[in-house]
Amino acid sequence: MKKVVMYTLSTCPWCMRAKKFFREKDIPFEYIDYDKADEGTRRSIREDCLSHGEEMSFPFVKIGEDVVVGYNPQKYSSLLNLSEG
Amino acid sequence: MSVDTEKRMEQFRTMFQRVIDPLGYKFSPDTELVDFLLEQEVLLEKEKGNPYCPCQGLTGEREHDMQLVCPCIPFHREHFDAMKRCWCGLYVHKDVDDPDSLVQISKKEFEASRTKV
Amino acid sequence: MVWFFAIDEIELGEGGKKPLLVEGEKLLLIRQEGGFYAISNKCPHMDCPLSKGTLEGFVIKCPCHDWLFDIRSGEFLNAREIKVPAYGTKVAEGKVYVNMER
Repeated sequence: MKKVVMYTLSTCPWCMRAKKFFREKDIPFEYIDYDKADEGTRRSIREDCLSHGEEMSFPFVKIGEDVVVGYNPQKYSSLLNLSEG
Repeated sequence: MSVDTEKRMEQFRTMFQRVIDPLGYKFSPDTELVDFLLEQEVLLEKEKGNPYCPCQGLTGEREHDMQLVCPCIPFHREHFDAMKRCWCGLYVHKDVDDPDSLVQISKKEFEASRTKV
Repeated sequence: MVWFFAIDEIELGEGGKKPLLVEGEKLLLIRQEGGFYAISNKCPHMDCPLSKGTLEGFVIKCPCHDWLFDIRSGEFLNAREIKVPAYGTKVAEGKVYVNMER
């Protein structure tokens, strides 16, 4: 199984939906709330987003080597080879 | 939710409607989402001084963060027009009836689709 | 045309700005490059007083969120569909008048 790591905001409903998606599919994931993180973590998250050519738009979801920015269950599923539904 | 929060949410509705209307946007028909986002913005204003987008990250640099004060459409117009919604989904194009049919397109995907033309 | 007296011309120097109440409307009168310009003093975003902003040439920056407006047309530079109301002005016998009909 590919590793799932997410950058999220505690205020963002799409981040909540993304977490819910992985929970419901029983897929383990790690996440960091950018707005609750310490200064150093925030800086590294920002650098990570920028290095992928993205802005800090959340959720920022890393699935293995791939990145999906935004709530996109279809993309999450296809990257994890899940059947839809 | 406190009375103050509700009152401020109503003020945001009135002020922001005025801004988004000439841009071709309206509040999302998903009222539950709208209420949630507006409440987050009231809380963000209390905590950080401004009603920032609840779905984009602040850096602490004024020039960057000011472009994330709601409604931030003017500063991300082409990108949001391509999605027919703003990033957090508080606003959608006036012709959108089913906001769940819209997907978020990342900045990078948007830029890539533009250079293809 | 409905012209209302605003101020005496000598009250406002070049590059100066002055908030005024004319016919119950909060206005901002600006003198720039010899001309007088009148706009609403309320930013169309969140009603912040533009009189507290900074003026550079014909562009005023809102003090709250840095939105930029052309004082001649009232247009918001990032989305010209959004405007702060702009009013006509004229000077006659050392007095500045504002046309409150937009």
